Amino acid sequence: MRGLWTMVANDLRQRIRDKSVFIFSLIVPLALMGVLSLVFGGLGDDTVDLQPVTVVASADDADQLGAALLGAVESLEIMDVTIKRVPAPDVRGEMQASGAELGIIVPEGFSDAALSGQAASVQLLEGSDATLESGVLISVVQGVVDQISAGTVTAAAGGIAGLPHQDLAALAEQAAAGPALLTLTEGQAAAEQLSLRGTLVAGQAGLFLMFTVGFGVLGLLAEREQGTLARLRSMPVTAVTVITAKACTGFILGVVATTVLLTAGSRLFDVSFGSPLVVAALILCVATAATSLTFVVARLVRTAEQANVAQAILAMVLGIAGGAFFPVEGTGFAATLLDLNPIGAFIRGLGISAGGGTLRDVTGPVAVMLAFAAAGLVLSRFLPDRGAQA
Amino acid sequence: MDVAEVTAKDVLDVRGLVRRYGDLTAVDGVSFHIRAGETYGLLGPNGAGKTTIISMVAGLIPANEGSVRVAGRDMTPSETEAKRVIGLVPQELAIYPDLTARENLKFFGRLQGLTGKDLTRRTNEVLELIGLSDRAGDLTKKYSGGMKRRLNIGIGLLHRPALLILDEPTVGVDPQSRNSILESVERLSVEGMAVLYTTHYMEEAERLCDRIAIIDEGRFQAEGTRDQLITLTGGVDRINLRGGGSTALAAEALRALPAVQHVDSDGSGLMLTVSDGPTALAGIVTGAGDAGMSVTSVEIVRPDLESVFLHLTGKALRD
Repeated sequence: MRGLWTMVANDLRQRIRDKSVFIFSLIVPLALMGVLSLVFGGLGDDTVDLQPVTVVASADDADQLGAALLGAVESLEIMDVTIKRVPAPDVRGEMQASGAELGIIVPEGFSDAALSGQAASVQLLEGSDATLESGVLISVVQGVVDQISAGTVTAAAGGIAGLPHQDLAALAEQAAAGPALLTLTEGQAAAEQLSLRGTLVAGQAGLFLMFTVGFGVLGLLAEREQGTLARLRSMPVTAVTVITAKACTGFILGVVATTVLLTAGSRLFDVSFGSPLVVAALILCVATAATSLTFVVARLVRTAEQANVAQAILAMVLGIAGGAFFPVEGTGFAATLLDLNPIGAFIRGLGISAGGGTLRDVTGPVAVMLAFAAAGLVLSRFLPDRGAQA
Repeated sequence: MDVAEVTAKDVLDVRGLVRRYGDLTAVDGVSFHIRAGETYGLLGPNGAGKTTIISMVAGLIPANEGSVRVAGRDMTPSETEAKRVIGLVPQELAIYPDLTARENLKFFGRLQGLTGKDLTRRTNEVLELIGLSDRAGDLTKKYSGGMKRRLNIGIGLLHRPALLILDEPTVGVDPQSRNSILESVERLSVEGMAVLYTTHYMEEAERLCDRIAIIDEGRFQAEGTRDQLITLTGGVDRINLRGGGSTALAAEALRALPAVQHVDSDGSGLMLTVSDGPTALAGIVTGAGDAGMSVTSVEIVRPDLESVFLHLTGKALRD
């Protein structure tokens, strides 16, 4: 063990001294995060400010359900809605004149029809330029109408069953007054999805981890080229100790760099990844997976230069496929492949963590990363060492 | 480990060593041994198999056949105990450019098992020995080629190995550093260290080595002390006479002398093969003059390892 840690300490000292690890593992990714944040500037802001809208509506003041529908639209908390009441024939003209985003025409006798189980249609007119606000309003109207429809269907069913007319109305009112089928609340879109800035920070951290761990095992190739590997192998340390020391170096650098990147990224870009414990577990797992991949690369290449190229290609492929730059989705076999990507699993895990997930909740991503690490180690055992044959 | 702790008579015992790379047999049945205080040279041209032998002796690669025992222990790539008593100085520089000389020495010293005050003391001693004490704190990437070479050797000496293996340590070194390296090796031998030294420089082998193996195409062509090897050529000297006049008549006259074995003419003079050149020289110059040759210069070429190599392999050492 003494020989192992002597070599690890020596490698770390050299990496720190030549500054390359700082450049490629910290400065470049942080700079890239900043640039990408500027490029996707709009996307970088997770909050959406809905603009005030004007709705032109036609409804009989005495129609209870029609009034309730317009009331639901007017009382939305997420945006400021102004309703202009006009007769039904004037709705279209008023919309053009005022530039309103939406027109709503509630037919006469809407409540009576709904309560007696008869068909009735609410007409929606969208402005010439569809906006996010008009889309939201249409969804709200749709939700209220669906709820009213439930009452209509209930009343119709009661009619078929032969219930008295007054009972049908009461039943329809009861169904329509049930719990809201559509609610709008602010918060995360989905539990497993990081914000765009969060994805950017996590993705870049995962991507550059692939480069950082390369300073370890791939350093073996550099040692072979500079002659020190021959000297190490003439020392009273086993070949396994030498390789393990290199792996430890890469792993330690990877864990430290990723931790620093996530910490700095979360501060600089105002992102939270949730429980530090869960994040730490994810970092350890993804660093293990990335380190195992360097064993495979080290077996396949002959020179340090080839190793750097191969590592860069793998990092970019896994990084892009994992969503380091933008979300990537697939179906069928492609989706399965994407799910097995350790960087993708890392970002997924951070998404779960950011959504309040615990260690148990990230079991899936953790399993993917550890399985990837095991596969890499096994594969490297069976691959011929092309560098040694050179 | 101190040299004195090694009790085995032969520090290195190599028997029937064979190493193949596909169809190529790089080393073919090599056997030799080295005792404490002895410097043993492997002399041969580039590609003769010297470095392959060294690699097996140092446990870097396995032998296909044969055995290597160092201080009584079998040496294989997975053997760590035998590696404690060797010090390897590879042909290529094997130092870390981003570390200082002191850091390089301490790192390799720790791997060899040195710790604490022992490590510090030996580091300082070696820095003094290789003349780098005043530059010990500088990064080695700022060193000259000669300084790097000296450090390369110093690392091999740090733990006082019973067997020091030097693989062409003076390649690419300036004359001053080269002389310094050779003096260091001579001192180590006197101190009782066994040294295995490979070179393709005949002068180095002659100066340093108690015994020499001449190697070509993976096989030992001959082995012994310098004098033993010289006798393989028949112990004859070469005398070159330069001048004008009747060289043809002179050649005829000199062939009649008892010490002269062979005479060649190249137009500008005569080349004679003689036994005991210094003794025969006076009679040869007189005979040539008497036959009408005006001698302007005389050169006696004593047999050397180059001659031995030429004699044994039919080619020059640096071909």
